[in-house]
Amino acid sequence: MATLTVPDRVPPPEPAPKAAPGAAPGYGPWRLAWRQLSRRPAARFGLVVVALLVVMAAGAPLLSALGGWSPTEFDQTAVDPYLGGLPLGALGGIGPDHWLGVEPVTGRDLFARVVNGAQVSLLISLSATAVVVLAGTATGIAAGYFGGRTDAVLSRLMDLTMSFPSLIFMIAMMSVAQDVNRIFLMTAIIGVFGWPGIARVVRGETLSVKHREYVEAARVGGSGAWRILGREILPNVSGPIIAYTTLLIPGMISTEAALSYLGVGVRPPTPSWGQMIADSVAFYETDPMYFIIPSLFLFLAVLAFTLLGDALRDILDPRGGRR
Amino acid sequence: MILYLARRFAGVAGVLFAISAITFTIFYVLPSDPAAAACGKSCSPERLELVRHYMGLDQPVWRQFGDFLTGIFSGRTLGEGPHALHCGFPCFGYSYENSVPVWDLLMDRLPVSVSLAVGASALWLLLGLGAGVTAALRKDTLVDRTLMVGAVAAASMPVYFTSVMLIYGVIRIAGLLPYPTYTDFTADPLDWASNLILPWLALALLYAAMYARQSRSSMIEAMAEPYIRTARAKGMPERTVIVKHGLRSGMTPILTLFGMDLGGLLAGAVITESIFGLPGVGRLFYDGLVRSDQPVILGVTLLAAFFIVIANLVVDLLYALVDPRVRY
Amino acid sequence: MTKRTQLALSTALLASLTLGLAGCSDDAKGSRSGKGKNPAAANEGQVVGGTPVKGGTLTVLSNQDFSHLDPARNWTMPNMDMGIRLLYRTLTTFKSEPGKAGSEIVPDLATDLGTPTEGGKVWTFTLKKGLKYEDGTPITAKDVKYNVERSFSPDLTGGPDYAAQYLADTKGYQGPLTGKHLSSIETPDDLTIVFKLKRPVADFASTATLPTFSPVPQAQEKGAQYDARPFSSGPYKVESYDRGKKLVLVRNTNWDAATDTVRKAYPDRFVFVQGLKGGQVDDRVIASAGGDASTIEWSNMRPESAPKVLPKADVKGRLIAESSGCTGMLQLNTSKAPFNDPKVREAMQYAVDKASLLTASGGPALNDIATAYLPPALTGAKQADTLKIAPAGDVAKAKDLLKAAGKDGGFGATFTVSTGDKTRGEAIQQGLSRVGVAVTINTVDPSAYYESIGDIKSAPDMVMAGWCPDYPSGSTFLPFVFDGRTIRDKGNQGNYSQFRDDAVMKRMDEIAAMSDAAKANQAWIDLDAQIMAKSPAVPLMLERKPLLVGTNIAGAFGHPVWSGQLDYAAIGLKDPSKSQG
Repeated sequence: MATLTVPDRVPPPEPAPKAAPGAAPGYGPWRLAWRQLSRRPAARFGLVVVALLVVMAAGAPLLSALGGWSPTEFDQTAVDPYLGGLPLGALGGIGPDHWLGVEPVTGRDLFARVVNGAQVSLLISLSATAVVVLAGTATGIAAGYFGGRTDAVLSRLMDLTMSFPSLIFMIAMMSVAQDVNRIFLMTAIIGVFGWPGIARVVRGETLSVKHREYVEAARVGGSGAWRILGREILPNVSGPIIAYTTLLIPGMISTEAALSYLGVGVRPPTPSWGQMIADSVAFYETDPMYFIIPSLFLFLAVLAFTLLGDALRDILDPRGGRR
Repeated sequence: MILYLARRFAGVAGVLFAISAITFTIFYVLPSDPAAAACGKSCSPERLELVRHYMGLDQPVWRQFGDFLTGIFSGRTLGEGPHALHCGFPCFGYSYENSVPVWDLLMDRLPVSVSLAVGASALWLLLGLGAGVTAALRKDTLVDRTLMVGAVAAASMPVYFTSVMLIYGVIRIAGLLPYPTYTDFTADPLDWASNLILPWLALALLYAAMYARQSRSSMIEAMAEPYIRTARAKGMPERTVIVKHGLRSGMTPILTLFGMDLGGLLAGAVITESIFGLPGVGRLFYDGLVRSDQPVILGVTLLAAFFIVIANLVVDLLYALVDPRVRY
Repeated sequence: MTKRTQLALSTALLASLTLGLAGCSDDAKGSRSGKGKNPAAANEGQVVGGTPVKGGTLTVLSNQDFSHLDPARNWTMPNMDMGIRLLYRTLTTFKSEPGKAGSEIVPDLATDLGTPTEGGKVWTFTLKKGLKYEDGTPITAKDVKYNVERSFSPDLTGGPDYAAQYLADTKGYQGPLTGKHLSSIETPDDLTIVFKLKRPVADFASTATLPTFSPVPQAQEKGAQYDARPFSSGPYKVESYDRGKKLVLVRNTNWDAATDTVRKAYPDRFVFVQGLKGGQVDDRVIASAGGDASTIEWSNMRPESAPKVLPKADVKGRLIAESSGCTGMLQLNTSKAPFNDPKVREAMQYAVDKASLLTASGGPALNDIATAYLPPALTGAKQADTLKIAPAGDVAKAKDLLKAAGKDGGFGATFTVSTGDKTRGEAIQQGLSRVGVAVTINTVDPSAYYESIGDIKSAPDMVMAGWCPDYPSGSTFLPFVFDGRTIRDKGNQGNYSQFRDDAVMKRMDEIAAMSDAAKANQAWIDLDAQIMAKSPAVPLMLERKPLLVGTNIAGAFGHPVWSGQLDYAAIGLKDPSKSQG
């Protein structure tokens, strides 16, 4: 819809599913959303898995202590040094000692690494999402509300950022940067390239609400621009923002994994899912469990956030992908 | 229209200029010394200075950038005296690691990446749109649900997982195909395709899933538009309604998406090319990183940006053709 | 040579870990594969596949491009072997034989191993008659001089710098394109070349095996472009070279086997297919299906492929794991605390867990623990072991030493490794944590690795680096790693410990001046022990080069001088008609 004013419009990479029918009157919007959410089996599944993963990530030290291994502890007795360090025992060494088996070569406990990896992967993707949402919302609202020159400048900036070959750029930057906190760096770099998508959504939403009666009323009533932005506009665009945010997370998880996969991610011995998958790809044939376990977790996380995001978008942003 | 085009081309040039300036600055600021990398083992300080001078790295950054830009339009001579190298138009720098102008390297690798991107995109358009439109027209049926569950699952699988599984299943277990080694299309089209089929599939599965989801929703949305109702009311056959009106407006968002994705892939799918060992631009980029070959890194980054920007432009122009609502 | 390029190319994505040596007595728990007997080293010193038959196409599967083919720039191991054996001849070269015999030098372009005069300060070589390039023009002594001069060009980087180190009057020289020529190389006639050196060099005949001492005619000079199409003086010439994808070599019909005692040149063609995935290369050679039976590996077999190889006798029989002749070391930054204290450094010798490290590098099947700096090839087949520390280290002794140094509270240390060496870094990290040393690992992309550890201002406390001798002489090892005069502010290489010890440097000069090679050899071994006592570095492991060959390959063996890389001079096919292409 914005095509006429902003010719280089680009939609966010994640597509929008179809809108659900509007809400029945009589309930507060949040309560309504919750009721609708809990009625969808896919959304319930997503919610449960997300909750489990978050709990797992938060309780990672506790969980790995329960398993009896720290994520960085070597166990030379669990691998066969004469066979390229292949785990002893079936299924990659799964057993009472190592619940999910061990990493070949080092014999580190896979359960401990998966739960601690969850912490790192979710930390990076969630904080990168936070960066993206904050920056995107701020620029989107400003561009949409103030219009004119502000809009022109910010929109150019969005176009420019979106024209960057982002993965290529992220790899290049991660690979030459040293001596910095990798988690922080990854968050920042992923964030830098992620904000324009949400900024466009918010800009579009802002444009559509800025001439509504209540906004006009507030303006006539003498409210300042910041007050209008905070009190009138933001609450009214927050639905789509929340939905869009949830749909951003799977992309962030994948990006973190891709960077770690390419060897420019977290610093050893820190585990992350992407790092684990990257290390395990070579073993897919000789120790398939080592490859399958972190892949499965990554898959579940992306799937769960996508399902949850889909549902939230249907509920909170009934106009779906139209921007 | 002409004015619009002119403005757009100016915009494209501006974006490319900004991207090259930013890339240049970042690589200049970050601690990495290509001269030391090129000079090799036990390189004496005097020799290092010579090499640095030879590579033009002793110049201030704005000067290096200026030379780079001039080179693109008019070619340039690198170095001086007996060791001078000529890098003809369009000079995107010179890879001292490969002893070849970057442009030649890019042009050498581009066919591989283009083959990969074009084949994969054809495949995913076919699969994705087919699934999406089918699901939309059979909304809330078993077919719809199955397709969408499959799409969500496929979209959640990382491309390296899919690739490894394809290699394992098709090559290692079933032995249906040999390990991919790239053959030029012109040399042997059949061989070309059979070597690329797995990379195509791996990429296409991921994108097809996203396209199925997107096309389903925009198709449903389009079919709910008032003009569809009008068309139906006029007694137009359902087939015509779907094809002429539904698809046409329902595919507009897909077009944008497709432009972005294809543009991004043309300059190399780094992960896919690495997993399948395809000598494309993405692989060139990664090798460039490993060898600290900055001219190559810069060249690939610019090429990638170029494709994205151009794809955007083309998409916007196509809009006018596809979407009856858009006029310039 | 250093492991520079090998390491630089070994990334998480592209290449394998460099694997190591075997024959280790350490019997880790859970071993199923028979005690004491090394499953991977069965082919050591053996020729795999018998004698080849002439003809056919031999395909080399590689995950990378060549670093350089230009003889003035070629100084990395697999490339050097390939270039010297297939494309260009050098004044002298190494015998094409497995095991110890391979390190024997024989004349190549020259008629003998050179005549030293003035106590080894002047070396004279005479070229054989009737030597020709690929176009039939004669090879002259001037062409050898010309290539040595080229190695000084600022645009022709990366090559061996022995010419610059040894030749007299080279200061400020910038290569032959400047129109200037070196006065320290004389060519009185087309077949005689005389090198005038700064100081006596007893093993200059070995130096002359390097590609710097191969002929390049001035008429073929293409500057940096020469890299893509070296002009052949060897048994093969370049038919086509698509960088990073494929190199095809065909017979050079002007090469005369009668003038060459070393190169057998069995196959009609060599095809190098590049840019493949490491794991896929292993799988293809293991399966040896169809045309893949006539293939060999360019880079190391990956450790994760070991379970597909070692349990199967037929595949294991095609694994060549010659010792690479390199020593991997943990170099401690002696320029600042905590490792400026020799006591603390000594403690590290005892704290490192080499057993874990071995497993992390492919296991005792493919590695051996190093107990001294000089690799066994330089010390009469067995390394010295002056400290006698158990493979897993001696935690108690390390703690005692740290206590004596006043560091019993532990300390932190930074450690930079390249991405491909990550697991090995973690093994070191875990070993040192046992004595309270908290190691922070910084993985750096291989592209930035040598720059980041070579900048002495920002150098980390520890780095993992290896050194491989260029030929069997201590002079190609210790001075590159422990001579304080080689330290540079930026681009520092080899001496990452920044070790500067007057007694050691004085002794190095004395040994370099010795004209008796045997005496010099013993002196290097003694110096090795002397440096060990000061512990600027912890020797970690000796590496093997595991390479698989296809079922149709014959005459394959790892050459001891070129880090265990297959000798391209003698390799060929059992049945040429089965090869493809």
